[in-house]
Amino acid sequence: MRKLIYFFVRALRNMRQSPFLCTAAVSTVMVALVILAFFAMVILNIEQLTRNWSREVQVSAYLEQPLNADAVRQKSSRIELFPEVEDVAYISPQQAYERFKVRLGDDADILQGMKSDFLPASFSISLKEKFRNRSGVEKVVERLQQDKQFNDLRYGQEWLEKFEAFLALMHAAGLILGGFLLFAALFIVSNTIRLTLFARREELEVMALVGGTPGFIKTPFLLEGALQGAAGGVLAVLISYSFFQVFLRENLAHLLIASGVGRIEFLPPLWQLALVVTGACLGLIGSFLSLRKLVRI
Amino acid sequence: MIQIYNLTKSYQKDAAALKDLTLKIPKGDFVYITGPSGAGKSTLLKLLYAAEKPSRGQILIDGKNLTRMNTSKIALVRRRLGIVFQDFKLINTRSIFENVAFPLEVQGKKRYEVSSKVYQAIKHVGLEHKLKKFPLELSGGEQQRVAIARALVIDPQILIADEPTGNLDPDVTLEIMELFKGANARGTTILLATHDRDMIRRFPRRTLSLDQGRLVEDRMF
Repeated sequence: MRKLIYFFVRALRNMRQSPFLCTAAVSTVMVALVILAFFAMVILNIEQLTRNWSREVQVSAYLEQPLNADAVRQKSSRIELFPEVEDVAYISPQQAYERFKVRLGDDADILQGMKSDFLPASFSISLKEKFRNRSGVEKVVERLQQDKQFNDLRYGQEWLEKFEAFLALMHAAGLILGGFLLFAALFIVSNTIRLTLFARREELEVMALVGGTPGFIKTPFLLEGALQGAAGGVLAVLISYSFFQVFLRENLAHLLIASGVGRIEFLPPLWQLALVVTGACLGLIGSFLSLRKLVRI
Repeated sequence: MIQIYNLTKSYQKDAAALKDLTLKIPKGDFVYITGPSGAGKSTLLKLLYAAEKPSRGQILIDGKNLTRMNTSKIALVRRRLGIVFQDFKLINTRSIFENVAFPLEVQGKKRYEVSSKVYQAIKHVGLEHKLKKFPLELSGGEQQRVAIARALVIDPQILIADEPTGNLDPDVTLEIMELFKGANARGTTILLATHDRDMIRRFPRRTLSLDQGRLVEDRMF
């Protein structure tokens, strides 16, 4: 414990004694993490957008004949018991007619002369979020097929396939771009730390010459890297939050709303914490890589 | 006791900096290592404090083979060595007190022990009024005295000094030699590399002469 306190004090003292180097390292981590924070924000908001889109994933089960109120209640509660199902709504032929009319808009006059019950009654079934995918939909459809009263089941296969392909692409792009950004951040941070350590190579040499063990020499520098990284992480959260408040929320909001995002969100607390931890890890790994090359006793 | 057997160091294939050196240095000895530039003086000292690894041969300190030790064990051996360099190797961002305290910190000594030993060591070299100064605020001679205080603060078994007076004027050289003599009188083995023949004449001690990496003379006084 005494040793740990000593290492901690020395890491802080090192930072105080070389304010310029310390500022350089913290700023580099900060810049790298601000970029990463914006990337995370984009991913988060696209996820939000796809979550909105996924509400479109519904199963429409068309009935041969309209049902009376009791039968509707019975069937609804039976479908609601499916583990994948979130909500069930019965749409009578008249309701279907009204919706169709609304959708036709100016062309609604083509319905003139048609009876208001010519469309089939149906159940509109929406799914819980984690089942809004092909396998979830197929499970529900499979169960519904056993009910002979349904003569047609529709779930927008083509749309679902495109949606899933988009999600897969987004996840892959997220992983590749995120990985690339993280790697670039590590590269930049590690090089900055190497420069700061290079400026202190004499100190490292003297430490070794007066009998410092590799652990004794490296630990304060690793701790220093981690502390600088964490400080860079905290600053990155603060800066990206200010930027979010000033620019994204005010100026870009209307653009984003037009593209279907209800409102744009900042990183939740857990993501903010993850950013600070990422900063600490970047500093730690950056110091570790640099020390490996500089401290050869 | 330092024992050196068939010690050879080559930095390049056909040019050995040190060739087949064998010698013994008893505990408490004061030894000059002399010779022209490129004779191998610094190489020998670097091998003794394990900053370099020999190409061939063995170095034993108190019977323990330095050439077969890992970095952690070498660190423990260095804690019994005091090393003084021609370019001082002080840490410019630390005060004089902190520089001298450094070897004791490395050894994990308690704070009160560090304070009293460091003060004694700095007082011994006559710089107690400059405890809070930084190396670059001192003259060359003063910086070397700080480096000597740092080497002596641990009461080393062996003090290795590589051209410690190389850049200093004659008066300061005298002061520094007195410090080395004092340490030797307290039982520290001294190994001092120099090409200053005048100094050897004024303070005659055992002198090892190297030339082109070979021991050409081992003169006792």
